[in-house]
Amino acid sequence: MKRSKFLVSFAMALAFAALAICGANAQQSSKTDNKAIALTGLPGVKDDAKGKLTVENGKLHFVYGKKSSDVSVASIEDVVTGEDSQAAVGKTVSTLSMAAPYGSGRFLALFRTKFDTLTLRYRDENGALHGVIFALPASGAEPIKKQLLAQGAHTTVVSERTAAAPASANSSSKEQKQ
Amino acid sequence: MKRYSNATLCLAVVTLVFAARPLSAGPAQPVKAKASAIQVEMIRSDEIKLPAEFQISLYENLVRQLEKQGGFEHVYRDGDRRAKDAPDLVVLHSTVRGFKEGSERARRVTTVAGATSITIHCEFKNTDGKVVLEQDVNGKVWFFGGNLRATYDFAKKTARMAHDNFNPSAHKS
Repeated sequence: MKRSKFLVSFAMALAFAALAICGANAQQSSKTDNKAIALTGLPGVKDDAKGKLTVENGKLHFVYGKKSSDVSVASIEDVVTGEDSQAAVGKTVSTLSMAAPYGSGRFLALFRTKFDTLTLRYRDENGALHGVIFALPASGAEPIKKQLLAQGAHTTVVSERTAAAPASANSSSKEQKQ
Repeated sequence: MKRYSNATLCLAVVTLVFAARPLSAGPAQPVKAKASAIQVEMIRSDEIKLPAEFQISLYENLVRQLEKQGGFEHVYRDGDRRAKDAPDLVVLHSTVRGFKEGSERARRVTTVAGATSITIHCEFKNTDGKVVLEQDVNGKVWFFGGNLRATYDFAKKTARMAHDNFNPSAHKS
């Protein structure tokens, strides 16, 4: 009798602990949503600068350290995520190299976390074409892409997808599997 | 007596070698065409499907390397309206001819497999549309770095080629 009581209480304690861990993880992932690395192309920002990426008031806003850099959403001609590239080409640059001292990178490469990419093309006031690549946590590029499109940015990928959508309703799930 | 003749022979050979050296070195120097500004067109990949991040990385690295070591007074981007007024402008058209995406993980683990390579046909045209220089340039990443490092390799080679063939103050050949 005593033993069964102990087992029940132990199981309940385990369940509470699991719930608490899940909650903490969810909170952490929602906090790290807008973290990004500006890989290349952002004016005035060094390559591989770590910061936060947000879309506010018609501007793509990248804050790193005490500095920030903006790109007008209206000037963006094309937004492509890593998943879009994967659908079009078949492979993506999903893993990124991170500085690892004394050759430990070779070992760490086996356990490297996957990243998503967000690639933009925009024109400045002189009509000059610029390209920017951001690295974001896995599947973190799509929400930012949606925000950019909602605020007036353009993309070449959406039109292809929407054109293909009516043809097959279940195609999207199949495409992801491929 | 024999010793003196040998020494004279050696001296004559050495003198000949030194005298012939400037003659052979002279024609090897490439004649640089005059170009004070360059406009970089977006990389085209009509035949070969290239991921968007590679295309942008190629373009951005190319612009940056030409600014750093191309030797031009101005480097204009695709569509820049200010390029119209630039004297001695050359336009760089780049078309992807080959692309093999490797694996950074395979490179790091094996060091012999997983190389990424990209081949791009570069055409430098003057404002009349005449091709001044054209060449295939290869970008590779063999051992260390992400796949996008191949784009940096390509950009460095292309900028060096531009530096070796164009000069803002040279006279047209």
